[in-house]
Amino acid sequence: MNNSTNNSADVNNPVKKVVVVGGGIAGWLTAGRLAAHHKANTETGIEVVLVESPTVPAIGVGEGTWPTMRSTLIALGISETDFIRECDASFKQGAKFAKWVDGAPEDFYYHPLVLPQGFSKADMAGYWLAQQNQNKDSFSQAVCFQEAVCEQGLAPKTIRTPEFDAIANYAYHLDSGKFAVFLQKHCTEKLGVQHVLDDVVGIQSLENGDIGAVATKENGNLSGDLFVDCTGFSSLLLGKHFKVPFKSCSDVLFIDTALAVQVPYEDENTPIASHTISTGQEAGWIWDIGLQHRRGVGYVYSSKYSSEEQARAVLAKYVGPKIDSLNIRKIPIKSGHREKFWTNNCVAVGLSAGFLEPLEASALVLVELSAQMICEQLPATRDAMDIVAKRFNETFLYRWDKIIDFLKLHYMLSKRTEDFWADNRDPKSIPDSLLELMKLWEHRAPADFDFTSNNEVFPAASYQYVLYGMGFESDYTQSQYLLNNRSFADQQFAKNKEMIKKANAALPSNRELLDKIRQYGFSSM
Amino acid sequence: MENLVEINNEAHKNLVLNPAKAEAHGANLRLIPAVVPEFTNLAVQYPIVLTKNEETGEFTFAAMLGFDQEENLFWENNQWQGIYLPLQVQRQPFFLGKASERASKGDAQDYVVCIDTNSPMISKQSVESDPQLQKVYTDSGAESEYFQQSKQCLSHLLQGELDNAKLLDLLKQFDLLQPLSLEVTFVNEQRMRLNGLYTINQDKLAALTNEHVITLHKSALLQPIYTMIASLGQVYALIERKNEKITSAKE
Repeated sequence: MNNSTNNSADVNNPVKKVVVVGGGIAGWLTAGRLAAHHKANTETGIEVVLVESPTVPAIGVGEGTWPTMRSTLIALGISETDFIRECDASFKQGAKFAKWVDGAPEDFYYHPLVLPQGFSKADMAGYWLAQQNQNKDSFSQAVCFQEAVCEQGLAPKTIRTPEFDAIANYAYHLDSGKFAVFLQKHCTEKLGVQHVLDDVVGIQSLENGDIGAVATKENGNLSGDLFVDCTGFSSLLLGKHFKVPFKSCSDVLFIDTALAVQVPYEDENTPIASHTISTGQEAGWIWDIGLQHRRGVGYVYSSKYSSEEQARAVLAKYVGPKIDSLNIRKIPIKSGHREKFWTNNCVAVGLSAGFLEPLEASALVLVELSAQMICEQLPATRDAMDIVAKRFNETFLYRWDKIIDFLKLHYMLSKRTEDFWADNRDPKSIPDSLLELMKLWEHRAPADFDFTSNNEVFPAASYQYVLYGMGFESDYTQSQYLLNNRSFADQQFAKNKEMIKKANAALPSNRELLDKIRQYGFSSM
Repeated sequence: MENLVEINNEAHKNLVLNPAKAEAHGANLRLIPAVVPEFTNLAVQYPIVLTKNEETGEFTFAAMLGFDQEENLFWENNQWQGIYLPLQVQRQPFFLGKASERASKGDAQDYVVCIDTNSPMISKQSVESDPQLQKVYTDSGAESEYFQQSKQCLSHLLQGELDNAKLLDLLKQFDLLQPLSLEVTFVNEQRMRLNGLYTINQDKLAALTNEHVITLHKSALLQPIYTMIASLGQVYALIERKNEKITSAKE
């Protein structure tokens, strides 16, 4: 290992060695994607080193993923069967939002992962809104078969479906602690990532301000051409060393505290929900995520609107009497992100870059997107790095803003009366970009042309599911021309009903499939 | 529904079977599980494909006999019209069961022979009334010649399952499988798309390294692979059979 640091950075220096600081999921996913893409296990590949403190525990955020995780696992060369078996993973087919609209017992809607039937060909939301029937299906039930699949507790595929293929689009719920261990093993054994277990105690700078090396307690200096900051909330490189300011968004998203608890299943036959259940509460919402061997449950709330004591009571009421024997973890949440994510030869991925709140599981998908962009656009020389950095910053500032907008959308449409919810409707708390979109959607549904950047995170379909799930009504009086093909729309509604029937007949229960995967595994084809 | 019970010369001393009715077990099967040693026999008339077990998702070799669910185009006029009867049908009504702990204690015998007591082969007639009928045990309680032949068939199947596992392992290891996409139009213009079938990927087979080819050859698995490929031609014969059935139904 090269311990000496040349104190100047030559612009023509090739980028041949990446040092990832921090060994949580963010660290291992980034190191893994870089190593796989740039063939770290060959002579000509780049070198990827991950240095991880043996003493700092991983925070373990994010047990929910997006369907992107399937492509990420494929890119890493991981078998889905191994992943599901070793990470306590289960299937996630979107989210069920209960008690977000008015808090009534029957109040719920879905944000599924399958696009609305006929989505690309017609404004299905408009046709749905025009239905006069008082007892009509919810929007998600009328246009997407996945809500029924989730309500029936069914899996998104069968044991005969090949690895990573879907009958209904899906993501995962996973045990983040186990996932980090699993990734570490795969990255070091298969992809050629070098693992250094040591504390980073200092940073050696070059003349141009770049990081030349990180100093470790036992292993001397680890030099590198690019440094990836995956040090979690402490943001050791980007925040502490480069002093890139943190941009809070607590004026938009009020959540600042989480109380998390792991809840065991009643017995080995208790159904496992194949969707995230998110239930509105007086000062926030409770997440409920079914893994194979336990549930992950947590109350995220705003301390401005609830004392910890009140919050604990809300969580206890949701979990039931068994909470007395369970260990509740309190996690502070600072909603926001760094003003930029890549400076000099240092880029932050994961919590070191920012965090919002667990709603819509944006944490891991941002890690995946960051890792993907870094590995695909890794500059060949130091000279090109500033250009890539600029593009990276533009891309991710856009993405963070869009995510903030989309999360806020969930809150601003609620009719709940508690202060937390009422204040969420205050226009002063709503970003202008979102207010603009809402103005457009007064007369038509969200459409693909509202989201034209290559860097979109949530598609128009997601906005439709939340908007009409939350009871928003676009007024089509001025836009009747959008609704001139009623027979096509009726066909789509009928087709969806047909697909619900088919799915019910073909799909096993979520637990049944997970049991079978443990026993037999998927085949790769 | 099958009902399997362990066979013995006391309870089944007087059991009489009608071998001609074995074929009826395959009357409604579109796919019949097949074993490597019978591939050459099967390939004379049936396409040999892979399908996935509904319970486990694992690949199984099978002879294809029809297109629609429960369609066996070789079953006509209550008779099997094929030249070769697959082992899975020949073996009826006998099965191998795992021996209970009691029986296997210190003994090499890991399997016991069971009989399907719901089999249409079981006859109520006396063996003398029809020369076709066979007894399982002789009057003295010894195994009849017929039963010994049947046991031979079971042992072929058992051996064949091991060959299947070996072949499947290497097919997966060398990445030689691919989905079989079949779009068929019958004489009555009915179109059909067959899903869930798999076969050998011939491009990948052609691109195998010398080392892998030798591995397959030395394990005597190269031949069954080529037999599978050749047998796919029988799909056309199968379509022909289906067309004839459609036409004759019209007349």
